[in-house]
Order: sequence, then structure tokens, then C-alpha cells
Amino acid sequence: MDADDLEQLDPGLARERTSLAWGRTAISFAALGGAVLKASLIPGLVILLIAAAVWWIPRLRKPGAQQLWLITVSTVAVATLALVVALTSHGVSHTLRP
Amino acid sequence: MASAWDWISPTGAAKIVQEGTEPDPRFTFANERTFLAWSRTALALVVAGLGIVQLLPPFPGVPLGRHLLGIPLIVLGAVLAVVAYVEWIRNQRALRRGDPLPRSVLPWLLAAMIALMAIISAVVLLVSATR
Repeated sequence: MDADDLEQLDPGLARERTSLAWGRTAISFAALGGAVLKASLIPGLVILLIAAAVWWIPRLRKPGAQQLWLITVSTVAVATLALVVALTSHGVSHTLRP
Repeated sequence: MASAWDWISPTGAAKIVQEGTEPDPRFTFANERTFLAWSRTALALVVAGLGIVQLLPPFPGVPLGRHLLGIPLIVLGAVLAVVAYVEWIRNQRALRRGDPLPRSVLPWLLAAMIALMAIISAVVLLVSATR
């Protein structure tokens, strides 16, 4: 396959760049899931499952409105979870001053 | 005429983005990448907000200082995710109809919120330093 074939198959490598963008988004979810996993097992596992779903979406079918809607709902759910944690926990208690 | 529910439900959005004719796939992919980039920005804001509340030591004299800084960032993350989705639908519809692309509110929203957070941070730090 030469460069002209590749250009015809995937003009401007738009499909490949979009696939990479999906991968970066999955990694973002996975990093967040890994961080949450240290503090809380179930929410961390849920976020890691979302990361796996985000990774597989562009590989299983052409993403459309429903797949992007899933990303939006997942992000809002993660934000809601973070808000609950932020409002109910106290975080570290030591101050910067001795 | 699409209702408000059509814009936020997956089936309604699928109908809206079926109008018109299929655009150049490069534009469709570019619109999708823009949506994903804003989603990652939203996730980063949520992580930053959670990190501030959970990991930052308390500000002396400002008991709610960490919450004042962290919670708006988390809320902004959720708002950004929803607005990014609505903008993806608007752009996709414009592309399919051959209309000019609508102006995005996301850069303005993010810039305004960062400026506001900078002001709140300065106030919290100043109050904390004087007590």
C-alpha cells in the first residue's frame, strides 16, 4: 500500500487521529479510575469499566450520537460522584503551617 | 422543530444529526475529536477539583477554602461535558445542512471560569495569610 492508497482510504488520516483521540479519552478515564480505586473500590472499578467501554467503542462500531451521549453521561456521573465525595469528606487535616 | 429533550436524549440527538446530507468525513471526524478533547478537559477539571478538596492541606483561617476552590471546578467539569455534547450536535447539524458553523461558547465559558477561580484563589490566599 503506497501513500496515495492510504490517502484515499483515510483522507488526512482523520480516522486514525480520531481513534487516537478515543484512546486518549479512555486513558483519561482509566487514570481517574486508578486514582479513585485507591480511595474507594466500587466507584474506582465502575470508572475503569467506563474506560474499557470508551476504549472499545470506536473499535466495535462507527461512533454516533449515542456513543458520544454515553461519554457525556459518564463524565457527568463521575463529576457527581466527585461532588458527593468532596461534600461529604474532610480530606487531609494537617495545615501548611506547623 | 427539535425539542429540548431531543438535544439531550441519545435517540433525539441521533435524529437531529441525520438531517441533511453526509458531509466530508474529515469534518465529521474533526467535530468528534473536538468533542472528545472537551470531554478530557471536563475530566481534568473534575480531577483537579477533587484533588484540591482531598489532597490540599486546609487554609488557616479559611475553613471552607478548599471547597470554595474545588467544588466550582467539579461543577464546571459537568457543565462542560454537557455543553460539549450540545455543541457537537449543533456543529454536526450545521455540517450536514451546509450552514456556517455556530459560534462556540466553550472557550468563553472556560476562560471566564478560570479568571473567576484565579480571583477566588487570590482572595482565599490573602485572607488565609492575614489570619
